[in-house]
Amino acid sequence: MIALDYRDPRPIYEQVVQKLADLILAGVLQENEQLPSVRGLASELSINPNTIQRAYAELDRQGYTYTVKGKGSFVAGSEPLREKRRNELLKEFRLLAAGALQAEISMERLIGELESVRQEMSGTDKNRESWGDPTGKGENHHD
Amino acid sequence: MIEVKNISKQFDGYPAVQQMNMTIGDSSVFGLIGTNGSGKSTFLRMAAGVLRPDEGEILIDGALVWEEPGVKQKLFFISDDAFFFQNAAPKDMEEFYCKYYPDFDRSRFEEMLRAFGLDRGRKLRAFSKGMKKQFFIAAGLAANTKYLLCDETFDGLDPVMRQAAKSLFAEAMTDRGLTVVLASHNLRELEDICDSVGLLHKGGVLLSKDLDDMKENLHKVQIVYRDESPKDADADGIEIVREETRGRLHTLIVRGTAQETQQYFNALEPVFFELIPLSLEEIFISETEVAGYDIKNLLA
Repeated sequence: MIALDYRDPRPIYEQVVQKLADLILAGVLQENEQLPSVRGLASELSINPNTIQRAYAELDRQGYTYTVKGKGSFVAGSEPLREKRRNELLKEFRLLAAGALQAEISMERLIGELESVRQEMSGTDKNRESWGDPTGKGENHHD
Repeated sequence: MIEVKNISKQFDGYPAVQQMNMTIGDSSVFGLIGTNGSGKSTFLRMAAGVLRPDEGEILIDGALVWEEPGVKQKLFFISDDAFFFQNAAPKDMEEFYCKYYPDFDRSRFEEMLRAFGLDRGRKLRAFSKGMKKQFFIAAGLAANTKYLLCDETFDGLDPVMRQAAKSLFAEAMTDRGLTVVLASHNLRELEDICDSVGLLHKGGVLLSKDLDDMKENLHKVQIVYRDESPKDADADGIEIVREETRGRLHTLIVRGTAQETQQYFNALEPVFFELIPLSLEEIFISETEVAGYDIKNLLA
């Protein structure tokens, strides 16, 4: 389901968190879908089950999943998280944009870049949301 | 829980273990790292009740392992120099283990031997080194003990077998709360699987800590300051463990979480800033340098 990069110097549990979060945000793991069992994933990745446990606890804390006692971890509604992710991306984008303007990259060139990125992506992935809708649609699932 | 209290052991006047203290929690993987002669095997042999400490005591679930033989049924020791009866085959050893370990799971044992491709009837002395290790891993897991002590067990296994063994350990940990103590001189091997690691040097424990805690609380920072007079960081609750300067580029080892560190340095508005997680090796070097050791050439 996920692959670890052993040359990545981050703690393994952080990698597990990030990779599962990415799968949830991308909609590969859907709302209310059960995550693999701790035993199963630890065995599959040949790593310590305590590491998986810790990663699952962190996903819970960040709101990606919820836990049903005795059953396991399930994917929470992802719309609020996707909105949060959008805001984070926009923040990063603003920082980069400020740097780009400071380095005297023209607006035309920036917009051209953006346009070419969009074209590259629409060639590979039709499911991505368009750039023009940062508000997000669909109802939010607040618990 | 394995509690190690102030143990020492000498061989012919040569101190192999000196006043070692450690606690190994349940349902975890504890790594013992150290060079040859640092006391790893001696410690494991004492923990297994094979050797008696000259001083101090080792308690397994509160009972002295040397004094109370019943405690030994709770642990399986995979020694580096494999022991088996002369001319014994795996099926003979199975009979022996069944007498000693009341919960020995015969069908599981046979299943693992089949999976590893080991012949139950072939004599162990005709096994290769790696095959013997595989045999002992199968036996150690089938014994259904609470503790599994492994002395350099992964060395000598091929990469596929290593992964398989790690997966089997993971299953035993979730299924029945197995605790594994792994001794190795290969830091990289331990980094992936251990919850905590003890660094041994000349018979003592230099450091014994939770791995993720270590990784989360120590970072490498590369920074170019805007003006050439960096602020006094220690005053702001950020501890700089080590600093190296090359031209304008400062390389710092900083104690603190990634977030704290990032916030602090971003506030200085540096020209260039990068936060790099440390490898276990770098962490050991930094942590022990503070204690006055130079272990750079000790780590394999």
